[in-house]
Parts: sequence; structure tokens; C-alpha cells
Amino acid sequence: MEEPYLGDEVVVVDCETSQFDRRKGQLLSLAAVVVSGQNIQLSEALDVTVDSDARTDPDAVRVHYLRREDRRHGVAAAEAIEGFLDFVGNRPICGFYIEYDRAILNRYIREYYDFELPNDFIEVSELYVRQKRRYIPEVNLDLTFEGLAKDLAVPVIERHTALGDVISTALMYIKLRHF
Amino acid sequence: MSIQINLDQPPFSFLESTQLNWLKARLDLVFFRAGETILDIGQPSPGIYIVYKGVVEETGDDGQVFTQYGREDLFDIRAVLESGCKHRYTAVEETLCYLLKARDFIQLLNESPDFSVYFNTDLGTQQQLVEQSEGEVSEFILAPVDADTMRAPVYVSGQTTLARAAALMKEERYDALLVRDGGRTGIVTGSDLLDAVLTGPHSKETRVSEIARFGLICIEQGDYLFNALLKMTQHKIERVVVTRDGEITGMLELMDMLSTFSTHSHIVAMRIEQARSLDDLIVAARRLEKLISNLSAQGVKVISIMSLITTLNRRLMRKAFELVVPEKLQSKVCILVLGSEGRGEQILKTDQDNAVIIQDDHVREALMPSLQKLHQVLLDFGYPRCPGGVMFINDAWIHTVDGWHQRVARWLQNSDPEPMMNMAILFDAEPVAGNRDLFERVRSAWQSESLRSSITSAWFARPALKFETPLTLLGKLREDHGTIDIKKGGIFPLVHGVRSLAFEYGISETHTLDRLDRLQELKILDTETAQGLRDALILFLRIRLRHQLERAGAQPGLTQQLRVADLRSVDRSLLRHGLHRVKKFKQWLVSHYHLENL
Repeated sequence: MEEPYLGDEVVVVDCETSQFDRRKGQLLSLAAVVVSGQNIQLSEALDVTVDSDARTDPDAVRVHYLRREDRRHGVAAAEAIEGFLDFVGNRPICGFYIEYDRAILNRYIREYYDFELPNDFIEVSELYVRQKRRYIPEVNLDLTFEGLAKDLAVPVIERHTALGDVISTALMYIKLRHF
Repeated sequence: MSIQINLDQPPFSFLESTQLNWLKARLDLVFFRAGETILDIGQPSPGIYIVYKGVVEETGDDGQVFTQYGREDLFDIRAVLESGCKHRYTAVEETLCYLLKARDFIQLLNESPDFSVYFNTDLGTQQQLVEQSEGEVSEFILAPVDADTMRAPVYVSGQTTLARAAALMKEERYDALLVRDGGRTGIVTGSDLLDAVLTGPHSKETRVSEIARFGLICIEQGDYLFNALLKMTQHKIERVVVTRDGEITGMLELMDMLSTFSTHSHIVAMRIEQARSLDDLIVAARRLEKLISNLSAQGVKVISIMSLITTLNRRLMRKAFELVVPEKLQSKVCILVLGSEGRGEQILKTDQDNAVIIQDDHVREALMPSLQKLHQVLLDFGYPRCPGGVMFINDAWIHTVDGWHQRVARWLQNSDPEPMMNMAILFDAEPVAGNRDLFERVRSAWQSESLRSSITSAWFARPALKFETPLTLLGKLREDHGTIDIKKGGIFPLVHGVRSLAFEYGISETHTLDRLDRLQELKILDTETAQGLRDALILFLRIRLRHQLERAGAQPGLTQQLRVADLRSVDRSLLRHGLHRVKKFKQWLVSHYHLENL
């Protein structure tokens, strides 16, 4: 994992948590997909639900709809993290507001393995801002997920399911990266 | 798994649900920018692309556009099954496709016979599979009278006593016996026995031959159950005798039939038959639309619906004619239905297209008030006025036999499109009420060889080319105004081309499908062409009916515009094939009639 990555694939990641808090948010679900060129390898996607007892913040439930009942069939957090590490390898990790996902994941990885993700991280909204500013430096940008999706003409797929957000984010990445 | 397209439609609906779930988990998502080549000529395809968003164009090496693909359309099956792509696929706009990898697709083909049959067959079979998958519901009403629907008859001799006959009915648990008496055969029922003994002069010792009824009401084996039902209704009886070549083979019971009949159809049929007033008829006529939508929803094939509705429409007309036209005039006039109604290809009501033959000019004056009334009745039935005035209330469409002969001769001497279209409309005529002989004498007008000269036939055929086939425009239309006119683009050129050939070769059938059969028999069209056109016509009618029912307005039958985006992708793809057949047929007509020089 510490080896530098030389390929052109990235892994797009999204986590849903019990509350929007880097220190207290419990991992509820995790999705990741490999983007290779213009191809989103959906058929190999990682999409796990975590069997977590965490009390869910009512506001958060309204966002991701993962009630405690929905998580019963999930796997233990340790298992989810292990699967994730296997999946990602040393490829760059990409996401929307990826700092939050990075913080959550690192908190778990520190606990289980006592290290942090060494991968490169790519922030989609940063790519977006950079591309926009290149043409119009002073532009006012809508940096919400929906704002980016709309401007980039990317379909919002099952918003706030981890996998749905991952697919939309992957599309944003492809469009920003290649065009 | 987050698949954003509807896979619950053919061909994917041919898969078992476990196979479908497996497939859904095997899809990747691929993005293409506008103008990007997705597959190039000669290149192998990584799999089947299913369009999620955007538009893809298929072009040949000379840049000719074959077709466009939109949401839920698939390509390129051939590139996967054969060695490589024959054409180039380009994203017209930013496009997202799901990709089913070749090996996964082939695995499904190997696992599911229906799925693989779909990809390896012609238009007709594909369509059959699509129709089948939409639910096989009883088409009982158009099923033939056969061994499954009838009971074995129980015979007694005419010398049997009523008491013995009653005992036999009980033993056999059957309420009717056939009575052999000398060379004749009659019938006796339970209620006949009761009537004879309780209210009549007979005793238990009377011979059954004395009370049996010998004028048997029969139906030939193989006839429609529907006709058996009408016979029962007409004669107010509950069973008919089934014969084959005149020999009795069984009995058909009303109760047996009603238990299996699709509910609505027999009610409408009976209402028409039992109507005693115009108001009764109007009620029945107004129910036809509901009947059509029920039958269609039950998955009854469009051909069956068509023949049922044609039968009912004609009975309605005849019944109205009998109620409106004074009896002494009835044999001096013949009512013709024209155009699609004449061909028996009308399902939802379109406008009135009709004409009248009168015996002589004296009849005209006496008849006009009745015709006005009949016209009003048709309006009440829900047939709008014909905007072109092709109606028997207009002088131009009422003639004596001689008058019609002159008119036909005038039309055929004129190369203008309008007289030719008048001829075309009349050419499809079918007599529905009055004196049929009058029609036979009129028909001879266009069956005379001299009038069907090759140049006349060519003039007659020419309007088939009037409208462009909307084939290469299919995808683009979706962007511009989103519709295609199925009548102008598909049905009219096909029907008119076939009609022209029927005219040229003096074929008297009026159904387009029957005309195609004859043209094939006469080896004017090869089997593949004839079959392709039959499939295409049925397809157009099916898609149009479905569309008309879904967007029902005040006059759904008048809608010819299909909104391309509303079509299921499987229908879009079948439609493309169907229109392609029509396009080829038009090219064939051009060379057959040398229309390029006309």
C-alpha cells in the first residue's frame, strides 16, 4: 500500500455515518468503485452496510434512510474496513468532500491497524473549482453536490445511498479529468 | 444495485428473475463525450451497450446514418455474436451507457432459450415473443369450436318414452338428448319434457319423437365460438349442435362457453344482437372502446382484436340499417364501408368512410331521409364525419351500378392523385348491409382488365411514395418534435403498395394480410418479403393501438402521432425494423412500376 501508484485508475469512495461528526460519526455504510479511464467498474463495486448499533441522529436518517433495522444484515465495521483496504490498494482515492470520509476511515483504521491511509486523495470539488477558475477567475460557484451535478450534467443517482453518490461522483471525476 | 434503467422489458424480461439480478450486478457504466466514437468498423465490441442517457448514432463507412439509439436501446448485438462491428457507433451528445460484457451476455444466451431466441430471430418471431410475454390470456372468443369445447352427444331412438328419456338425462347428467327418428335427427331437452307433461297433452308414455324438435341449429366444427354464441343469441337457445361436413360430432353448451368467455366481449355482442332500438345500439357501440382497451390490456393479439371489432362493427351497421331503412327499400340499396373499415383493419373508431349503391335513380329520393338518419346514428355511435366528405350523404358517393361504373372509369382515366385516392378508397369497399348483388356488379368495374393497364396501375401506386419513411430520422425526431406519424410513415405506404398490387393483379380480397397471402401465392412477392410486410403491419397496428389507448383523448382512433420517447425501447427497435421493411418495399414498388420516370 505504501508503494506509489503508477496506473491511471482511481477509487471513488463514499461513507454514510450515524451523524455528521468526524469524531463521533459511526460508519453505517461504505461504497467504492474503480474508475478506469471512462469506465466505471460497477460490476466490481464495493457496497457494504455495517451492522452498527450506533444511535442514529434523526436528521441523518432522513438523509441516508439507514435505520438500525436496515443495518442488521450488515457486516462488522472491522470486516468492512478490511474489505475496503483490500479493494483500494494503493490507488488514489477520490470523493466529494473526501476530507470527511478520510477522517472517518482513518479513525477506524487507526483503531484496528494503527496506521492511516497513505494514498493520494483527490477532491472532486477542488478539480471543479480549478477548472472553472481557469476560464473565469472570479466566478461564483455552487459547490454543493447537487450544484456540481447540475453544472456538469451528471445524473444524481439515489442520492445519499453510498453507492449512488459514488456513481455520481465518479461521473463528475471522469468529466473533470478527461475533458 | 443502483441500475437506473428499466430492465423489466423485453428482451431482459425473458430472463428468470435470478438471471436478471445476476445481470444487474454484472453491468458497468461507461461515459462518452459528445462526438466520441464508441465502436468503430471492424473493431470487436467489449459487450452490449445499453443507453442510459444520451444519443448514439450508427453510421456506415460512407457516413450514411442508419439509426439512432436512445434510452434503454441496445447495441451492437452483431458485433458481439460475430467477429466485429460492421458499422460505427458515435455518441451524438454526452452519453452514458451500461456495458454488459460479452462473456456475460453469451453466458445468458446459453442459459436462457427465450433470451437467445429473441436475438437470433426475425421481426415476426421477436414480436411474437414480445406479445407472448405480455400475458397469455384467453382469446376464447376467437377460439375455434373444437373437441375441447364441446360435449359428446347422447342419442336416443325416437321410440323412447318420455319417462325413459328423463331417466337417461339423469343418468348421463346431461340436459339434452339427440333423437334419431327415421333418417332425421332432432333434439329434446329437460325443459321440453317438463313442458310436454306438465303443460302439454302428453304422458310419460309418449314417444320422444312426438315432442322433439327436428330443425337443429348447427355450427360447423372449426368455426369461431363467437359465431356459435351469436347463433344461440339469435335463436334464444342455450346449445347448438356441432357438425363436421354435415355429420354431427358434438354439442356446444352456452353455460360451458360463458364460464370461459372474456367477460366484456359477449355482453357487447349480445347487446348488439338483442337491440330493439337505436338507443340500445348506441349504448352497445359506445362500449366498444372499453372492450378494445380490456382486450388489449388482457394481452389479446391485435389481429384477434381487429377481427372481433370488425365483426361487431359490421353487425352494428347492419342492425342500424335494418332499424332505419324501410323494409321495402332494403333490397334496393347496398351500404359499403370503405378504407380501413372496408379492409377490416380498423380498431378504434376513425372517421366515417362509406358509400351507397342504389338500384335505380327512383330509389334515391325515397332513400335520402333514411341515409341522413343513418349518418346521424353513426355520429351517435362515435364515428366522426369524414373531413374529405367520403360519406353516403354526399351525392358523390351515392350512385347506381351504372353510375359507379362511369365514375370509376373517369377516375382511372385521370392521373391526378385525388381521383386515384378515391379509387383506392372504393377499392377497399366491403358491403355491410342491403343487397350484396349490387356490389358484385359494381366491383366488376375495376376488375376489367382494360381499366387496369400498366400505366393506370402505376398512377394508382404512386401515392405510396408520397411520405418519407421516418427511418433515419427516428432519433432526431425525438429531439425536434419527438413524434413520428405512423400512418404516413408506415401503415399507408405498406397498405397502399399492397393495394396497388391487388389492383394490378385483380385480387378481390380486401384485408391487407389476405392480399399479401395472395400476392405470395401468385409469386408476385417472395415469401420473405410478404412475411416481412405482414409482420410489419401487425407491428404498426399493435404499437399504434397501444399508444392510442395510453393517450386516450376524445377521439383516440384519430391519433397517428407516436411519441418516440414514450415507446418502450423494444418497440422502438421493432419499429425501426418494420420501417426498414417498408422502405425496402417502397424501393421495390419504384422499380416494379417504374415510378422514377413518372
